Amino acid sequence: MQHTLNITTRNEASVVERLLQVTRYRGYQLAGLAMTPLTDRAGLQITLTVQSDKPITLLTSQLVKLYDVQQLELASADVAVLRA
Amino acid sequence: MKGAELVLKVLQQQGVDTIFGYPGGAIMPIYDAIYHSTVKHYLCRHEQGGAFSAIGYARASGKVGVCLATSGPGATNLITSLADALLDSVPLVAITGQVSQAVMGTDAFQEVDVLGLSLGVTKHSFMVRDVNELAHTLQEAFRLAQSGRPGPVLVDIPKDVQLAEVSEPEWPILPVARLATSLTNAAKARQLIAQAKKPIAYIGGGVQMADALAQLQAFLAESEMPSVTTLKGMGSVARANPHYLGMLGMHGTQAANLAVQQSDLLICLGARFDDRVTGKLDKFAPHAKVIHVDIDPAEINKVRFADCALLGDMKQILPAISTATQCADWLAHCQQLKQQYGWRYDHPGERIFAPLMLKQLSERMPDNSVVCCDVGQHQMWVAQHMRFNSPRNHLSSGGLGTMGFGLPAAIGAKLARPQDTVIAVSGDGSFMMNVQELGTIKRFRLQVKIVIIDNQRLGMVKQWQQLFFNERYSETDLSDNPDFVALAAAFAIPGHTITRKDEVASALEAMFSWPGPYLLHVRIDEKDNVWPLVPPGAANEDMLTETN
Repeated sequence: MQHTLNITTRNEASVVERLLQVTRYRGYQLAGLAMTPLTDRAGLQITLTVQSDKPITLLTSQLVKLYDVQQLELASADVAVLRA
Repeated sequence: MKGAELVLKVLQQQGVDTIFGYPGGAIMPIYDAIYHSTVKHYLCRHEQGGAFSAIGYARASGKVGVCLATSGPGATNLITSLADALLDSVPLVAITGQVSQAVMGTDAFQEVDVLGLSLGVTKHSFMVRDVNELAHTLQEAFRLAQSGRPGPVLVDIPKDVQLAEVSEPEWPILPVARLATSLTNAAKARQLIAQAKKPIAYIGGGVQMADALAQLQAFLAESEMPSVTTLKGMGSVARANPHYLGMLGMHGTQAANLAVQQSDLLICLGARFDDRVTGKLDKFAPHAKVIHVDIDPAEINKVRFADCALLGDMKQILPAISTATQCADWLAHCQQLKQQYGWRYDHPGERIFAPLMLKQLSERMPDNSVVCCDVGQHQMWVAQHMRFNSPRNHLSSGGLGTMGFGLPAAIGAKLARPQDTVIAVSGDGSFMMNVQELGTIKRFRLQVKIVIIDNQRLGMVKQWQQLFFNERYSETDLSDNPDFVALAAAFAIPGHTITRKDEVASALEAMFSWPGPYLLHVRIDEKDNVWPLVPPGAANEDMLTETN
């Protein structure tokens, strides 16, 4: 099953590596990645698309713990803000 | 002042008076600042040893452990210890020197991408590129290491940042973030507990880390039920509690495992359903509903579905879910299991039986002693046969299972609690993994007592080879071990070797009465194995014992 996550992060050099490391380690396959600096360049808007048979919450619960992640939303019909 | 001096200022501001490390080129400015600082630096003999000492210090005291290393090999030598701290949720701040920014990214001498290497083994890692961000970043590292579920944080500081001039900032200490506690599900939890016929508490390291041991005793008194602990939870339940059944899992007690398997309600407190605990997951506590209490939301439903989850501060949650139970028959049944499957210490022959020796050690050691283990058979025997009155007195590498942990962890524990007796119990394999730290004990004349349980084998691997690999003993023979007593003597540490049961009591007496570090070398039979054992892939009720 494919899921798309909209993630707002700090604009730190290692932030994409961190997201990808957690995604790989937790067993989700990367299916798409897009990144845009926010207008003030203090943050990044990252769209991460992953594929897995596992529940997506097992990934989102790990990603929201990352220090640089400020907000994470599931871009699906049941959009849920997991962290404000 | 220079950035390097600011590092020491921030450490002092954080209340840090003890750090562990090893100098090198890229961290020399910080070591120059240490030369004039009141912060006491303990020189280890390998960066891994230094970081394990910081972990031992943190686990024995509840404070943040701090370790230092230089760039390149110094930093890579920290990686195992960072992973250990991550898996056992230990608050640790590791500070590494990095090559100057002018040469970063050029494969400079002793340059390695430690930030990249640290991604999978830290809670977070920082690279400080501007000296004006240094104080705030270090403070953030301390805050993060202690906030929520504790863990290791790495701060990589290029040499030019250490040498740059900076005015002393007046940074307030950042408060440790407390995760909001939700008691929404407390009523549901109380209802589940009140209705349960066979409830059992499954207690992990998170209870002590939340400083909630008193609340745990009160909970177990009001909600009277049997309890079991994980390796990291050992010592959480008061010795006087009659319903404590011991450790559960692969080498847990039969009573603990059978009771959990038969339970109808499992109350998981600060534990995470590790595979060494559950055995075959879909057969673990198959009839039980689960109440899961934790500080880390990511642990809920990660491995086992929770019928009722409570997130946040264990200190607040435990009183909120306490309720009377109606399970006298169940308590009696568990008591009967405990009687039926109690440990037996009768062992034929004159040779030393490690479980009995450790029981004697446990009974002889002062009450608040800290025991630091390595990994393998001796580690499981310690967990089975020694009793502790706090998880801070039993330091064992749980999640990562790192051989070489025990000796340096004991150094850290001794420095954290100089008035308490500290004992490193090791195996002949594990001891050699960080044996260089005998040099640290010698240098600082640390009164660490060392007990090596020597079967001249990598015993736990050998046991699995015997049971599951048709006795093909591949690379587990250590019969060419060094003379451990002579090795200790080279570091001015006296020692003694014993081989017979009747020597144990007097040898322990000699070790404890010696006013300094001491090594007791205990030779045991290579054929002795750890029982019971849940074979890999089996359910926890399918334990192998010595007789089957």
